[in-house]
Amino acid sequence: MTLGSGGSSVVVPRNFRLLEELERGEKGIGDGTVSYGMDDGDDIYMRSWTGTIIGPHNTVHEGRIYQLKLFCDKDYPEKPPSVRFHSRINMTCVNHETGVVEPKKFGLLANWQREYTMEDILTQLKKEMTTPHNRKLVQPPEGTYF
Amino acid sequence: MGGAGDSSESKVSNELGQGQGEEGIVVINVRCSNGTKFTVRTSLESTVGVFKSVLAQNCDVPADQQRLIYKGRILKDDQTLFSYGLQADHTIHVVRGFAPASSTPATATAAGGNPDTTTGVTRGVGSNEGGAFGLGGAGLGASLFSGLGSLGGGASGSFGAGFSDLEQVQQQLTQNPNMMREIMNTPAMQSLMNNPELIRSLMMSNPQMREIMDRNPELAHVLNDPSILRQTLEAARNPELMREMMRHTDRAMSNIESTPEGFNMLRRMYENVQEPFLNATTMGGNAGNDSGSNPFAALLGNQGGNQVRDASNNPSTTGSEATGGLTAPNTNPLPNPWNNAAGGTQTNSTTRPNPAGNVRASGLGGLGLGGPGLPGMESLFNGMPDSNQMNQLLQNPAVSQMMQTVLSNPEYMNQMLNFNPQLRSLVDSNPQLREMMQNPELLRQLTSPETMQDMLDPLLFPFLQQQMLALQQSLLPQLRQQTTQEASQPGAPTGTPNNTGLEMLMNMFGDLGAGSLSAPNQPDVPPEELYATQLSQLQEMGFFDTQENIRALRATAGNVHAAVDRLLGNLGQ
Repeated sequence: MTLGSGGSSVVVPRNFRLLEELERGEKGIGDGTVSYGMDDGDDIYMRSWTGTIIGPHNTVHEGRIYQLKLFCDKDYPEKPPSVRFHSRINMTCVNHETGVVEPKKFGLLANWQREYTMEDILTQLKKEMTTPHNRKLVQPPEGTYF
Repeated sequence: MGGAGDSSESKVSNELGQGQGEEGIVVINVRCSNGTKFTVRTSLESTVGVFKSVLAQNCDVPADQQRLIYKGRILKDDQTLFSYGLQADHTIHVVRGFAPASSTPATATAAGGNPDTTTGVTRGVGSNEGGAFGLGGAGLGASLFSGLGSLGGGASGSFGAGFSDLEQVQQQLTQNPNMMREIMNTPAMQSLMNNPELIRSLMMSNPQMREIMDRNPELAHVLNDPSILRQTLEAARNPELMREMMRHTDRAMSNIESTPEGFNMLRRMYENVQEPFLNATTMGGNAGNDSGSNPFAALLGNQGGNQVRDASNNPSTTGSEATGGLTAPNTNPLPNPWNNAAGGTQTNSTTRPNPAGNVRASGLGGLGLGGPGLPGMESLFNGMPDSNQMNQLLQNPAVSQMMQTVLSNPEYMNQMLNFNPQLRSLVDSNPQLREMMQNPELLRQLTSPETMQDMLDPLLFPFLQQQMLALQQSLLPQLRQQTTQEASQPGAPTGTPNNTGLEMLMNMFGDLGAGSLSAPNQPDVPPEELYATQLSQLQEMGFFDTQENIRALRATAGNVHAAVDRLLGNLGQ
């Protein structure tokens, strides 16, 4: 992200950044395969978010809709949000007990950069579902939750 | 997003019947999992279930197989759209699931009691949502029509004036771009296209059309121009070009969306242009449409807007005819969208005879003559990142001529003021400003190339800045009032800071200063001191880069709002 005219970079403050993401989520900008929005419109800190991922084609996830909870703490976007699946899913990077996406096993969170967005997380998770070690995994029945 | 562009289209089909301005009716964008996009009009009070059946008419997914997702949530049938916080122009995603089997116990409710759970989800393992339908679909078609501008719509309208079900035909065409292309590629159509004379005679043989043209010499000019006709038809035939136009419109629309008053502008444009046009073509053009005695000059506004957009790619061609660029897809990044807005606003000024007569004469005409030209002006100045370019532009004879036309005529200034209520109220409470605005001499001086050059003179700069500060300080209290008012309005978009006309004015002045700031000089007072309060405000907002803040504040002469806009506006766009 660089200034169009000056060529130097500006650090976008957290709230501006989140507002931007909120708008993207509401307006459905992006590739349309993931969706996200804020849980509580009154939370001025914009911390709790819900995301959904539509299971990609040609995988066991196809046709499923996964719900996730994202929590952007005050240090977002310096630090990644905490991400956990609400819908039960069997994936290598997801804790089987809690549904938490484990940063150590999920590159985007491990190597977080402040330019990354929640949309990036969701799309990357979706991509992760199509990887060979995830696409064939036996899945828990749909509609069950962590 | 093609949302806004499409919406005007779908409005066309609905509003003729039911009239507009109904309470709670909003336009919602819908995206299907196969990539199709369309818009629907609905009441926020209706339930998700009802909404699904509305959607079922527009897409190939039956209501009971639809899974709607909004803001990451799955929408339940018995809830209202409003309860999910849905607002106008937001997007809902549609995914196809399997029809819910009635016997399936909803294990989900037992498991979590999650409010978002729908029973249908427990079963959806749909494999049939793949793209059986060509990408684009209705969205593409709809944008095509708005993309071609009302001219396209008008042209096909005139061909089809004999049909009583013109709208149906049009709708079918818009929903099926392939069909359109096929039609366009038939030999008959080809020969027609290569013969603009024929098209013209076709149009002239339509009495309604002729009447329109008689009444509006400007429009006649457009319709008589073979190259424009050819372009329009060419675009309808060439998918690439069509997409390009679509992109133009989409971009312009999305930009309008995020501008203050943008939607009102669109609405006005629609009311003033499209509706009368359709009335004229579908209702036999009887006397019923004298509501806008000259609604079609707005067409030219559009045209002008397009030209400006093309022209602003390259300042040196400003004022020349840029329509030629349309014959080949343009791969450049899209330039300033404001100009289109300026074109749109021109609808407002159509009540007055247009002294310039031929808007197409100067590409910038749409900008300068377009009633409340402030947004356009601002973008004009914003678009000039460095003073040299600015200078160049100002010395361009076409531009100065344009400025002259605008400024030598106090009428325009008044019009400009009158059409912007915020500005007017400001002026009313501020006689000095009014005096200034209405003094053509002063304005001419302000915008004359000489003054601009003077502004670039390092010696004069501190003085100039002082002046601006004084002006802005006198404006600030009102500005604050305005913005808080705006912010407290329901439905104000949370994401975008609300600009008011005032702020635009200030930006305009601020940017005049910005142009000169790139000259290597320093005000007497160090900026840290000069902008101490503003700097701390920016800090509180979370802009921690002091150097950058100072730069922004200097560029905007200490206006925090403008500085924030600048800091954010320049990002990644």
